[in-house]
Amino acid sequence: MDEQGCPRCKTTKYRNPSLKLMVNVCGHTLCENCVEMLFVRGSSNCVQCDTPLRKSNFRVQLFEDPTVDKEVEIRKKVLKIYNKRDFDFPSLREYNDYLEQVEDIVYNLTNNVDVENTKLRMEQYQRENRDVIQRNKAKLTREQEELEELLLQEQQSNEQRRLEVLQEEQRQLQAKRKNKQALLDELVRCTRCMAVCMCNDKSSDAISELHYDRCSMSDRQTVSLQPVTKIEDVLYHYRPLQVETYGPPVPELEQLGRLGYLNHVRAAVTQDTAGGYTSGLACYRAIQDAFSGLFPLRG
Amino acid sequence: MKLNIEGLLVYFPYDYIYPEQYSYMLELKRTLDAKGHGVLEMPSGTGKTISLLSLIVAYQRAFPLEVTKLIYCSRTVPEIEKVVEELRKLMEFYTKETGESNNFLALALSSRKNLCIHPEVSSLRFGKEVDGKCHSLTASYVRAQHHSNPNLPVCRFYEEFDSVGRQVPLPAGIYNLDDLKAFGRRKGWCPYYLARYSILHANIVVYSYHYLLDPKIADLVSKELAKKSVVVFDEAHNIDNVCIDSMSVNITRRTLDRCQTNVDTLQNTIHKIKETDAAKLREEYRRLVEGLKEANVARETDIYLANPVLPDEILQEAVPGSIRTAEHFVGFMRRFLEYLKSRLRVQHVVQESAPQFLKDIFEKVCIDRKPLRFCAERLQSLLRTLEIADIADFSAVTLISNFATLVSTYSQGFTIIIEPFEDRTPTIANPVLHFSCMDPSIAIKPVFQRFQSVVITSGTLSPLDIYPRILDFRPVTMASFTMTLARTCLCPLIVGRGNDQVALSSKFETREDFAVIRNYGNLLLEMSAIVPDGIVAFFTSYVYMENIVASWYEQGILENIQRNKLIFIETQDAAETSMALEKYQEACENGRGAILLSVARGKVSEGIDFVHHYGRAVIMFGVPYVYTQSRILKARLEYLRDQFQIRENDFLTFDAMRHAAQCVGRAIRGKTDYGLMIFADKRYARADKRGKLPRWIQEHINDGSLNLTVDEAVQLSKHFLRQMAQPFRQEDQLGLSLLTLEQLESEDMLQKITQIAHQT
Repeated sequence: MDEQGCPRCKTTKYRNPSLKLMVNVCGHTLCENCVEMLFVRGSSNCVQCDTPLRKSNFRVQLFEDPTVDKEVEIRKKVLKIYNKRDFDFPSLREYNDYLEQVEDIVYNLTNNVDVENTKLRMEQYQRENRDVIQRNKAKLTREQEELEELLLQEQQSNEQRRLEVLQEEQRQLQAKRKNKQALLDELVRCTRCMAVCMCNDKSSDAISELHYDRCSMSDRQTVSLQPVTKIEDVLYHYRPLQVETYGPPVPELEQLGRLGYLNHVRAAVTQDTAGGYTSGLACYRAIQDAFSGLFPLRG
Repeated sequence: MKLNIEGLLVYFPYDYIYPEQYSYMLELKRTLDAKGHGVLEMPSGTGKTISLLSLIVAYQRAFPLEVTKLIYCSRTVPEIEKVVEELRKLMEFYTKETGESNNFLALALSSRKNLCIHPEVSSLRFGKEVDGKCHSLTASYVRAQHHSNPNLPVCRFYEEFDSVGRQVPLPAGIYNLDDLKAFGRRKGWCPYYLARYSILHANIVVYSYHYLLDPKIADLVSKELAKKSVVVFDEAHNIDNVCIDSMSVNITRRTLDRCQTNVDTLQNTIHKIKETDAAKLREEYRRLVEGLKEANVARETDIYLANPVLPDEILQEAVPGSIRTAEHFVGFMRRFLEYLKSRLRVQHVVQESAPQFLKDIFEKVCIDRKPLRFCAERLQSLLRTLEIADIADFSAVTLISNFATLVSTYSQGFTIIIEPFEDRTPTIANPVLHFSCMDPSIAIKPVFQRFQSVVITSGTLSPLDIYPRILDFRPVTMASFTMTLARTCLCPLIVGRGNDQVALSSKFETREDFAVIRNYGNLLLEMSAIVPDGIVAFFTSYVYMENIVASWYEQGILENIQRNKLIFIETQDAAETSMALEKYQEACENGRGAILLSVARGKVSEGIDFVHHYGRAVIMFGVPYVYTQSRILKARLEYLRDQFQIRENDFLTFDAMRHAAQCVGRAIRGKTDYGLMIFADKRYARADKRGKLPRWIQEHINDGSLNLTVDEAVQLSKHFLRQMAQPFRQEDQLGLSLLTLEQLESEDMLQKITQIAHQT
């Protein structure tokens, strides 16, 4: 796109990003400024091919290749005249032949092949088929009808989806509000069961709001209005811990001194013993650590 | 051993069998009996392939009229080779047991690149080049010219195959790619065409997904496969993405430029040919007037890059008159091209449906829907007529014409998104037109419709019910099997907090948080100290990995890790990655082992196995969600919600969890293997995430390992590793997770086995 430019003043899109290229029926490009300058009087000849042109026929160039612009222009004109549909023909074959004929005309006009004859042909056709042309003007081809239908469907489904989403949101909102209200009602009825409610519905915002309200009311004093909940469960039985050390048995704490283990650790100073520390404790732990994991795993 | 699966005699080539294999075969047999489709999940490393093969082969032998062919689809060439080797073992067992040589024909099929034996062509590096070159030597008109002018090069292997190879069928046996090549060399026949020809009467065909799912290739290769076939998709957890990719088209500015040159070349060639050989164009014209059907029956070498799926009625109709002659067609392509160019010149993102696009194109350049629909077919015909030998050059224009055909054929399930720039670089204009398929069922529908049984299987298919929904089919069996284990050899841990109680998560808000990054570093550091041999760590994306590694470097964590193990990193460059992988394995063989940092959804996470000491621990940093801001993904999610009632979040979580499961599953490749699986993100502990992991992982996650700190994880890992390091013999497994025939037939074992399959 950048290397496109006006053939007359040689400005390119790169140098002037706001450059507007125009194209006329002959398919040659000119930039907007040049058009303004050359066509002050409304009509003039094309710089490149000397075709007489009118200023009002200049269009903004849509495509990179100006011949495509020209072709589309011509095609639209031709299709206005050649607007027969497939149901105007007895067989598909003939319709296809007709399509090809149209294509031929467009091709000739675009590439300046035998222009005079082609134009004559078109005019003749127009005269012959006037009523058909008139009749078909408003009609769409079957394919286009299908397309329109599809588009309509799409629109409808989009609309419906939007509505559904909206409804869903509303429903959720309502449900939420209802829940909140129900909870508040319940709380009003009996404040005692509040703790239970709290447990039931922790995630509810209502509760947390309420909770905070209460907190601010009581000025952040730690006065709890909740009754002390009684926990009823099976009584706890202590079972001594069984530790599998995968090692030889460790001597008891009391026996350490007797067995001479304590000779190898630093004796506790008076300051240490003040807190209840004895050198036996450290020694006991060290031995446990050393003995564990010495045997391979069983089972 | 010989098994009795509900009355069917199955030869199983090993002396021992896993209980879940037996259960798997039961389910499979029921699927085949019902002539329906099935979804089966079984952990990797429990012998899925051999169970599948031995049951289906037995079924084929018992009911030769019911099931005529097995089509086994796998992902990569090494996997295809593995399947063929298993099959060879099975067949050897058959001959040994029955004493007679059975006339089974099984073969692998791959691209020309892997099968070509022509000395010049096979030396080319890229698959596309090989295809193009092969086409230029074997196209029918080239060969016709060769008759008049013997100096013109043709492929002698193809000539030889064409003259004699078709009469003599390939002798029975098991052929992998190398066998085919050797056979081709011996006979002087082209192995590729031989294989393509032979799959029609082979009993078992092993090839890649694309030969069945990509409509362009399937049309050539698999069109004539018998209806009574059983199709198996192995490693199918990604099948929906494969389907979608095969139907999507991306068009950039460069494609269009190349296409422009293509069109110019076409025009010049037409000009030239008009002067020299106008009769040829007239002949083509006559053929097109008659209808496409005739053109469609051209010989196999010519239909080279065939059209995407078209409804049959279109193929029988004649080409519309507006694109019948060559010049008109070129003009038509030119207009279409200019239109696309003008569309790519957008300043903001555009998203529209196919009907909207068609309406716009009619208004702008007067192109009807019908000629667009015939575009791909018409282009192929033109290329054939113009006798353009090197079709590889014309890939751009072929792509555009395929796009034209698709956009005009399907009004649903596709979306067009035009983006003027990439999201990451909003200042650089790089317009792309995505024509993206949102419905994987479009590509796979012909497969489900045509073949009698389709089995989808993988190690990670959870949750099972989502696959039938997104692929739009009704399975008769859905089952998930667990691994029966003599010792718990996998240890999934969810690490949710660091030692400083900071929640670990890769979610967007805490991505840049130093505390999280440091804790992740700590986790890896501690693990590197206690895990022997290899550790594989997965990140959610390349960018995230780069950020984290940079940050670890600054904090000195990387240095500390390197005291324990070497570090290797996966990059986007395939060559570099395979190099890193090789060195990683070398490092695992020696010394203290290594750490491989890689990315979920990357190459490593999908196809590489880390058996035994190559992967003793896998750490998954974060939940691997896809990039949710991508418009293509958004469109697809919307479509899923509207068409299949799958909520966005469900699908995203499902997708993330299947990738996470794929990643951590890399480490366990069998019952003697063991490995830690560490999920380092607190979100894994939630029921909706955890519930989407495969059952064989889920059942080992106990409540105690849901929200661990790094320290606790280290303690548990130490204990686990010490236990696992004890010697483990086969006798320990026998009777529990490994059965002899007698054990299998005992009453209580059979009862146990029926409980293994988890029906959904």
